[in-house]
Amino acid sequence: MSAVSAAPTALYLYGVVASGTRLALPGAGVDGSDVEIYEAEDVAAIVSAVSRAEFGEEPLHRHLNDREWLERTAQAHEAVLERALGTTTVIPFRMATLYGAEARLRAFLHERRGVLAELLELFEGKVELGVKAYFDRPEAEADGSDTGRGYMLQRQAEQAAEREADAFAIACAEESHRRLGAAAFAARVNRAQPSELSGRSEQMLLNGAYLVPRGDGELEEVVGSLEQRFAGRGVTFELTGPWPPYNFVPRDLAP
Amino acid sequence: MSSRELERMQMPGAQHPAQLADVLERVLDKGIVIAGDIQINLLDIELLTVKLRLLIASADKAKEMGIDWWQDDPFLSRGSSNGKTLEGRLKRLEQKAGIEDDGSE
Repeated sequence: MSAVSAAPTALYLYGVVASGTRLALPGAGVDGSDVEIYEAEDVAAIVSAVSRAEFGEEPLHRHLNDREWLERTAQAHEAVLERALGTTTVIPFRMATLYGAEARLRAFLHERRGVLAELLELFEGKVELGVKAYFDRPEAEADGSDTGRGYMLQRQAEQAAEREADAFAIACAEESHRRLGAAAFAARVNRAQPSELSGRSEQMLLNGAYLVPRGDGELEEVVGSLEQRFAGRGVTFELTGPWPPYNFVPRDLAP
Repeated sequence: MSSRELERMQMPGAQHPAQLADVLERVLDKGIVIAGDIQINLLDIELLTVKLRLLIASADKAKEMGIDWWQDDPFLSRGSSNGKTLEGRLKRLEQKAGIEDDGSE
């Protein structure tokens, strides 16, 4: 680990954009600092000078486990990238990508300039859309029987219904993702969110991300078609975005 | 799709308070936060996920449901040939980023 200097600030990197991009968001940073463009040789970075008292190694470790801080910071990070996405092509970085010194940021941008330039080219004119499918699983009906034999039959019927619902859930998720993926340049599936997170009682079947042309509407049409196809089976779809293309940035891009 | 979601679609870059779960699953890097100078391997992420039931609970749930079929294949897109080309390039970039990373200190 490099020696962390005593400098009171570190550079927080939100994303990378093309050289010459204009973006200044006073006070919009993760800690209320200014968001600025840092020009490197071939690309530019969206950065804030943040306080080490908040983003130094030890405080950061603590803060990341503080739900309120995490929520506020994540939303601020996302808001900055959405502002950038509204005007230009952006490579979004994960939350809390920090450089202790300007030279380190410059070195990173220089070392990865090839990958960064190629990603900017790939992402041009595209956005990430999220599609989630929810399944309202059919409830087993009790027949009121209280004999032993009736109970056994009831249990068997319930288990068969559960298996059928599971098989349908998988088939529906696969078909949905395949059709959505066919309308996209690239597709990813994230883990299904549990109810506590999604805030919905239905079971999440699919949590996909799709890289699509900005505003072309094709993915929305596929969602509409899937909604019609599965409406009778208790499946509903939710579309989110446009997002910066987080799901399509190679892992391990930052050092 | 609700009209509110449609409205969002038509306003790229517009400020909206996105669902926290959707934001977190994007801005957190699977439990590891990369920091340029300071690489923090967040072992405490378990604390975080217990609080949020974000990664761990959802993974278990998916397995329980038997719908973790994608886990070993993030490249499921069967898009147009154009899409495949882009997937290929992304995959290559991903490998390149990983290899370069392994090569550094």
